[in-house]
Amino acid sequence: MTGRRSGRPLVPAYLSTGGVARPANTELERLSLLTGGTGTAPDGLPAARHALFDVLDGGTLTLVEAAALLELPVSAVRVLAAELAEQGLVSLRAPVPQAALPAPDLLKRVADGLRALKQ
Amino acid sequence: MIEITVLAASGLAGGTLLALALAGGLLRSHRHRSRLHDEIADLRDRLDNERSKAARASDAVTAEIAHLAEKRIPAVATRAAHPHVQVPGPLSVEFARTGPGAALDVVIDGLLTVMKQERKRVDAAARAGMRGTTREIQAGLYRLQDVLRGLQQQYDEPELAQTLFELDHENEQSLRRAQVAAVVCGAWVGLAREESHLVDAVTGGQSRLVGYHRVRINNHLEPGTALVSHAVEPVAIIVAELLDNALRHSSRDTDVTVNLERAHHGVAVTIDDAGVGMSADERGYAQRMVASSEPILLSDLGDPPRMGLAAIGQLTRQFDLSVDLSTPSPYGGVRAVLLVSNHLLSHVDPVRRPPAAAAPRSTRLVGTPDQPAKAETNGKLPVRTAAASRALRANARRTAPPTTPDTTAHPNSPHTDSTYPDHMPDGVAETDTDPDIEPGDEILPQRRRRRIRPGAEASALAARPSVPEQAQPPARTPEHSAAALGALQTGTAAARSTADPEGNDPR
Repeated sequence: MTGRRSGRPLVPAYLSTGGVARPANTELERLSLLTGGTGTAPDGLPAARHALFDVLDGGTLTLVEAAALLELPVSAVRVLAAELAEQGLVSLRAPVPQAALPAPDLLKRVADGLRALKQ
Repeated sequence: MIEITVLAASGLAGGTLLALALAGGLLRSHRHRSRLHDEIADLRDRLDNERSKAARASDAVTAEIAHLAEKRIPAVATRAAHPHVQVPGPLSVEFARTGPGAALDVVIDGLLTVMKQERKRVDAAARAGMRGTTREIQAGLYRLQDVLRGLQQQYDEPELAQTLFELDHENEQSLRRAQVAAVVCGAWVGLAREESHLVDAVTGGQSRLVGYHRVRINNHLEPGTALVSHAVEPVAIIVAELLDNALRHSSRDTDVTVNLERAHHGVAVTIDDAGVGMSADERGYAQRMVASSEPILLSDLGDPPRMGLAAIGQLTRQFDLSVDLSTPSPYGGVRAVLLVSNHLLSHVDPVRRPPAAAAPRSTRLVGTPDQPAKAETNGKLPVRTAAASRALRANARRTAPPTTPDTTAHPNSPHTDSTYPDHMPDGVAETDTDPDIEPGDEILPQRRRRRIRPGAEASALAARPSVPEQAQPPARTPEHSAAALGALQTGTAAARSTADPEGNDPR
């Protein structure tokens, strides 16, 4: 982790949301999927929301991944995501149910097979 | 018979002569006596005169001493704390010119010297006591902060998170007060930070205040403008105190504007408020506090003590920063300008270590100025320049763990990141067919949160096929190490020679 700060963060998490931790959208879970809108962010978007918009960059991430990338607690990113969704800059999707995910074992075998093909 | 007559006559004559002679002597002595009498009376008069004069003089001296004790000395003592108090002179003007008058002036001078020394001693004792206490409090608050931040990461239930945010903010405020008191008492700032973005230090300072919502930060600095490690915390404290001053003296519905701009000698942090402003006296006092070279005494700070400006003064002296409060703001309030000179600035790679998410973005573009235009025209997808930093960092992180299977094909080392703008060839960007799979890349398919700029990836690959996959720390040249150690040494020496050493002894 090259970019990880080692010391105490200078900017506390509450500043990113203006001290708010209660999201407008309470359906958001840790594994909810956030899909960023395409195009540029509107001017005057608060810095933290802008950062979330940028980190999504038109693709999809789970809430908790976005939180890790932004180095913010999940609670703060949830607020940011709800705000961006309200502005129509991010679309939200419920997490993929556990049962619908392929077994990790199978994925690992496929990966091993593909790696074997390459060599 | 004749003999008897002769004898009688001669005897008579002799007697007469004797009587005459005696009468003459008697007369003379009588005259002498009366003269002496006169003289004595005269002397007595003069003596009485002198006596009464002496008594008057001694009365005057006594009165002067009483005056000294009752009026002048208390006035001197009061004047030490309130310089506008006038010390009265002696009762009579002539007295000052006499010997005892001069002696009394010497007494006053001696008293002043002793009082100054005593005041310094008492103040130093008070500072030492407070320093010890605030240091303990500060350490305790940092531990509390660690716990609170840990809890914030761990629990995301909204109600709990809200409480944790509020507690964290309260804690920041207490921390700020403890830290400022410690700094005023001559202690070290209490926290060693690593090299950080200047905007992070300013935003960090903002977060320590009650009215942080009202602060607008405009960052016009080049991305990556950073502070050397020992200047980070002082700048955050100074900005917090200046902002606190601005927020306190302006109405709740106005904003406080912070502008970060590059100046020739460094970076200027300008803080403007639209408040009531300061009178010339207040401005003079404030300017004296922040910029004078005199050491600050606790007893000068008033009651309740105004610590903020004193702390700024202490820090500007110690860290060679400069703060100016002498100009009024165009918004009508106060304009405070903090100048961070070049030797306290450094550079942090904004791609590898971007500023905090809540820190305002730079109004300048990342990388080369023409990069966004290129990206817009050449790639099918518009590339947001601001996104590049975070995205690339994220990329580097994902591929950083050595156990990840796809790292072999992902040379997202810092080299690639930093050379990214150079590897934005004009033609390659058009191969953006599948956003999820990198074209021409020999990696396993993986879920991506975003479209990878294929040009960058592919050409980076082609350019450096042998770059090791793990993110490497930048190579450190001997010159770098020498420069860093040299800077450390000169910095330490400079601080030792200028700073008040009392805070640094481990007592």
